[in-house]
Amino acid sequence: MTALIEARGVSKRFRQHKRFPGLLGAFKTLVTAEYTEVAAVSDVSFDIQAGEAVGYLGPNGAGKSTMIKMMTGILVPSAGSLTVLGRTPHEQRMANARQIGVVFGQRSQLWWDLPVIDSFALHQRIYDIPQARYAENLERFSALLDLTPFLDRAVRQLSLGQRMRAEIVMSLLHDPKILFLDEPTIGLDVVAKDAVRRFLAEINRERGVTIILTTHDLQDIETICPRLIMVDHSKLIFDGELGRLRAALGSSRRLTLEFATDPGPLPLATATLTSDEGLIKHYLLEREDVSLVHVLSEVGSTRDLKDVALHEPNIEEVIRTFYQGRNIAATATS
Amino acid sequence: MLRRLSVLLLLVRMFVKSQMEYRGAFWLDRLAQIISYGAVLLGMWILLQKFELLGGWNWPELALLFSFQLLAYALGASVSFTQLRDLEELVRLGTLDALLTKPINTWAYLIFSGLNIGYAGHIILAIPVLVWALLAAQVEWSIGNALFFAGSLLSATLVTGAVITMIGAIALIWVRSNHLFSIFFGFWELTRYPLNIFPGGIQAVMLTVVPLAYISAVPVAVLLGKPVPLLGDFAAPAALLAGPLLVLVAVTHWRYALSRYQGAGG
Repeated sequence: MTALIEARGVSKRFRQHKRFPGLLGAFKTLVTAEYTEVAAVSDVSFDIQAGEAVGYLGPNGAGKSTMIKMMTGILVPSAGSLTVLGRTPHEQRMANARQIGVVFGQRSQLWWDLPVIDSFALHQRIYDIPQARYAENLERFSALLDLTPFLDRAVRQLSLGQRMRAEIVMSLLHDPKILFLDEPTIGLDVVAKDAVRRFLAEINRERGVTIILTTHDLQDIETICPRLIMVDHSKLIFDGELGRLRAALGSSRRLTLEFATDPGPLPLATATLTSDEGLIKHYLLEREDVSLVHVLSEVGSTRDLKDVALHEPNIEEVIRTFYQGRNIAATATS
Repeated sequence: MLRRLSVLLLLVRMFVKSQMEYRGAFWLDRLAQIISYGAVLLGMWILLQKFELLGGWNWPELALLFSFQLLAYALGASVSFTQLRDLEELVRLGTLDALLTKPINTWAYLIFSGLNIGYAGHIILAIPVLVWALLAAQVEWSIGNALFFAGSLLSATLVTGAVITMIGAIALIWVRSNHLFSIFFGFWELTRYPLNIFPGGIQAVMLTVVPLAYISAVPVAVLLGKPVPLLGDFAAPAALLAGPLLVLVAVTHWRYALSRYQGAGG
């Protein structure tokens, strides 16, 4: 079976008017026609199968939204091939549109001055959703996300959390095969985030809707997406299960040993000593194949060991460490 | 086809409903419009009291020119101006992205979801003036003339919509387009006057690059049997064809601009 989404060496470059600094530069910018090319997406390839939930993660400007815009047919790739549901999205934008749902966290698709239900009714007409199916979906999703109390209220009177829930429900009314979400939880409070995450996970599990979401928030990915695609500086740097990310990015576990009596300096072959407070010593376990047992057998039973704490880095630390390392590397080379 | 049309009608209904959320402001706006265009007309009247003729046109003929221009503009702009002026904002804020993911023609959605009923003010002023001027001016009515009047009014409406669409679509490529609208309105104000009062260069521009002469001076001169500079005998067919031809150009330009769309922001 072919993949639902196939990206092969997809790139997107934007042409930007070259800008010169300062006031004189501003005039120069006005009269010159020099352009610089900015790569938003460089040579990205991946396959996404039906029913997957994929988190697309990366810092600001890494090219996440650009990739979503290419997959939804808004932007035309500069190079490479991209197919979604067997079509080239920008060539068959309308046909593609009927089978996908799109949610932009920062831009509303609801009619600001009208009740939520009016926007839904328009959506039904635009997508030709049969009345029975529309009613069924509306009832089910409204119940799951608790929309019923504010369906008749004007969108401008809703809280951000309520509005976002309404946006997500609308994007699913026409039973899309793929749901694209661009930062769906941005700006939401903890409760609203949780509601959105649980709903998306359920839609993916129960209805088999393929979900692709971009986010800054790792919690989104941990709850919804078993698979993670990570991009940085327009390039794909990781594609796989979230659990494998730590190993892939080479992040170390931290080990703390606490002794009843100070054993003196204690360098180890299996772990690197990072700080020594006498009774308490901190180590880094850099190698994945080294386990706690190896370290403890090296320390030996003769020392007066009181307590051991092994600290697995959470995913956020892993990524932060990675980006910091990259920045240091960038500074060193520039 | 009929179903598509019903979606567009629903869009119009929803837009009118949103506007009516602020109905007090809406009617006050219309009143202000009638007064401001009324003042322009009054200014022309005062001028004509002193000079009697402007480029060989008397007061009823100029009133006909003014009202024809206002009506054609109001009809054409109601299906284009505010929507395409705001396109710049839709591009800048990224709202257009969401529109592009819907299985509906983007231009049609844009136009019908913002069909500007605000031009009611123009129309309320233009129609009585037009009717009076058609009776007062020396129009030699015949079936051919009546058909020409209807056809050229439609064509003038299309010219307005097409030119505005072309200007607005530039926002898809350059994000900004509103400065071009100021140029448009500069020329547009000239279309309240007979073409022959302008120097040859401006006449040529208004018949070609900024083809706004077709929304007033050309068709009204034909109707009144007055000579049209540069076009001569071709004035009548040109007035009728300008609209459909410019619509074709505008559609091609819109498609091209959409393919060049780069989006804005993240």
